[in-house]
Order: sequence, then structure tokens, then C-alpha cells
Amino acid sequence: MTVWMMMSKMSEGLGRTCAIFFLTLLFSLPLGLLVALLRMSKNKVVSAITKAYISIMRGTPLMLQLLAVTYGPYYLFGIRVAQQKLIPVVIAFSLNYAAYFAEIYRGGIESMSKGQYEAAQVLGYSRSQCFNRIILPQVIKRIIPAVTNEVVTLVKDTSIAFTVAYQEMFTIGKQIANSQTSFMPFVIAGVFYFVFNFIVSWGMGRLEKRLSYYR
Amino acid sequence: MKNKKLLYGIIAVLAVAAIVIAVVLLTRPAAKKEETVFKMGIDAEYPPFSYMDEKGSYVGFDVDMCKAVCDLNGWKMEIVPINWDTKLISLDNKEHDCVWSGMTILDSMKTAGYVLSYAYFDNTQVVLTKEGNGISTLADLAGKKVAVQLGTSGQALLEGDQKELSATFNGGAAVTMENFNICGTELDAGGVDAVVIDLPVAKSLSEKFKGFQILEENLGSEQYGICFRKGDDDLCKKVEEAYTKLVKDGTYKKLAEKYGLSENSLCLLTAAN
Repeated sequence: MTVWMMMSKMSEGLGRTCAIFFLTLLFSLPLGLLVALLRMSKNKVVSAITKAYISIMRGTPLMLQLLAVTYGPYYLFGIRVAQQKLIPVVIAFSLNYAAYFAEIYRGGIESMSKGQYEAAQVLGYSRSQCFNRIILPQVIKRIIPAVTNEVVTLVKDTSIAFTVAYQEMFTIGKQIANSQTSFMPFVIAGVFYFVFNFIVSWGMGRLEKRLSYYR
Repeated sequence: MKNKKLLYGIIAVLAVAAIVIAVVLLTRPAAKKEETVFKMGIDAEYPPFSYMDEKGSYVGFDVDMCKAVCDLNGWKMEIVPINWDTKLISLDNKEHDCVWSGMTILDSMKTAGYVLSYAYFDNTQVVLTKEGNGISTLADLAGKKVAVQLGTSGQALLEGDQKELSATFNGGAAVTMENFNICGTELDAGGVDAVVIDLPVAKSLSEKFKGFQILEENLGSEQYGICFRKGDDDLCKKVEEAYTKLVKDGTYKKLAEKYGLSENSLCLLTAAN
């Protein structure tokens, strides 16, 4: 098999890799914020439940979570969700990444000085106005390096979808490698991931620069 | 606020990209279900039974046999590459209708209720001896003359995993012979005391020669079969019937030759003749 052939075969899976990546970001970033806010809730029950959620999501391998979300519904309730595999894969990834993002958001939010809330109150801002207009924009600025870390990891983690035989780029690469007894697909995969992450880092870098006003 | 606009812009682009990808991926496999589709679950990394060829399509002995079986039954074949570690889980989830990919039949699968086809490929290596040679266990082979056919999996086994065993043989290694007929003749004539050989061949030789016996202890047992879901006995029967037809019309042998599989391992061939 020619290198060109391998690349074109693997790029068929690249669409699925991108689908996991973009859809996971789309769902996990807002979900993470919600989880962070619940985690900081004054209601002890709510915060304990969210705390447990975060510790389970961070404390178990993503591989097992993928298996649980894809095949769990059948063994527990007899529902087969595995036919349209993108859905359980994205749910598992989003739940997992939301837990990590939540802790990043929390770190950002808690780093804001109390004085800002007090000043906003004095100026007549409501609690939600204060959070949306004053706190959140600053939090976003601060957490960008940490979020970039997670996003870059996500690009590489998409390959874990092979666990449930989702035919993304790396799964196909593995098939070619073992069928053709060649190491080349792994080299190609490495280049693919590197270029993908290079673009991601570049984009996030630009965003960071754009947001570094008042400096 | 220019920066806020930029942020919203990025979010909008992300959202649109995600939605477009999702729509494309979700709408595409909307197949019409008019004809029966037989979904074959394969390990796409297992040549020569199932693998990806030069052109990037799935081929192999099992894949081609399945295609022929589907043609006979008028089914539409769909290949589903699976994760071998979770093959039974995805089978339960109806992602595919069978596991058919050089799969070793395990008793634990039967116990768990899965429907298994007959064995269509036999990799079991056994020891064939003659009555009166005083060999009833593998340990008895020490100091004896043992033959093996050149270039078979039996030879590979004796030079690899069973190296320690073959060191106990007379001369410290097995004698290699051109083909299994010579092995049989030599054994009958007393030229060697035992022969390491594929189980189907051992069976046919012991029918041909008098007093041959196969040791109960074997050197590694492997029989390939097809696994179906619990309750799919009818499906299994249909596949088996078509498979038997393919054995009889020679497709089985032809495809085995095409993929370089040893004829010795084609256990259905000896049964059919």
C-alpha cells in the first residue's frame, strides 16, 4: 500500500476525529461552567453531588466511561444505542471533559477578589449582571492557558474512541499497520495529530493575545 | 466591544462546524432496509483471515467466504470492523450479527449462551504415534525420534513455544520431512516413533494406517468458528448450510489456497471427502 493510499484512507477517519473534537468542545465547555457553578453552590447537597460527579469522571479512565455510555444502556435497560456510535462517544467525551473544565472554571472564578463583587454591588449591579459582565470575562482571560492544555489533550484523546470500534483516524491507521505490516500509518497519525494541535495552539494563542486588553 | 465580538465569532464558528459535521455524519448512513443485511463483525487486523488490502478494502479468507455465503443466501453483506476485546459486547448490542474472523472457539462462549458454528479451521497440533511405541504422554517423547512436516505450524511450534519439549527428542530436535504422507509411512515402518501434525491430518492418517493413535495431550489447541447471538440458531444453521455447499463446490479450498492457508488445517475438507 502506498503512503498516499494510506493517507487517503486515514483521512476518511479524520472527519470522525474532527466530529468528536468539535462536538465535545461544543457541549463540554458550557456544561463545565454549569458544573463549576453547581460545585460552588451554597447548597451542600448540590455541591456534594457535583463533587462526586467530578471525582468519578476524573478518577476513572475515559476508556471505561466510553464503554459504559455505549454499552451500559443495553445491559441495564435493554436499549441499544451503539448503532449510531457518534452519539454515545460524544456524550462520554463531553461528560468527561466537562469535569475537567469545571475545575478550571472554578479555579478562575475563585481567583477573583471579593472586592470586585462588593464594588459591583455598590454600583447597583445585580448578582447575575455582576457575574456575566464583570467576573466571567476576566475568568475567560485567565483560564485560557489551562483550557488550551485540555483542548490539546482532547485532540489526542479522540483516538481512545477505538475502544468502541468507532472508525476514527487512529483506528483505521491501526488496521492498516497490522494488515500491511507497516509502521508508516503511525508516523502519518503522529503528523496528523501534531498539525491539528499546532493549529489549535496557534488559534488559542491568538485568542489569548486578543483578550489581553487592559495590559 | 471588539473582543467580545471575536469571542462570539469563534463560538459561532465552532457551533456551525459542529452542527454541520453532526448532520453530515448522522444523515448519511440512512440505509433502506429492503433486503436482509448480514453484518459481519471482523477484526480488521488479522491477516490472512480478515484485513485491509492494498486498495484499502477489507479482504481475507473469512471475508471472502462470508461474501460467498451471503451470495448463496441472497443477503447483502456489510462488514463491521470491531474491537476484538469487546467483540461479544458489541455482538449483544446488535452492531453486527456474528463474529467471524479467525475466532477460536472457547467453551466459555458456549456456557455464556452464544450460538457457535461448527469448526471450519483447525490449528490443533497433536502427536501421532503407533501402538507399541510406549508413548502415552508428551513426557514419553524424551529420547524418541519425532518427525514434523517442513514448513508447517507444527514445525514453528517446536522451534518456538515448545522448544524445551523438542530438546528432549532424540538428537535434540524433531526430524523434518517433506510431506505428511512420508511422515505417516515412516511412522508405520518404524523410522520414527512419533509425528507432530495438524489434528485433521492426524485423523485421516490414523484411518489409513493400522494401529495409529493420537495422544490426548496436544501441543496447543485452536479451532476457528463463527459466533452468533443467543437465540440466533436459525441464522447459524443457514450460514452453516451455505458454508457446507461452498466446501463441496471447492470454493473453500480455492480461497484457502488464495490466502496461503495450509490445506492440513482445513478440517471440513477431510470431513467432506
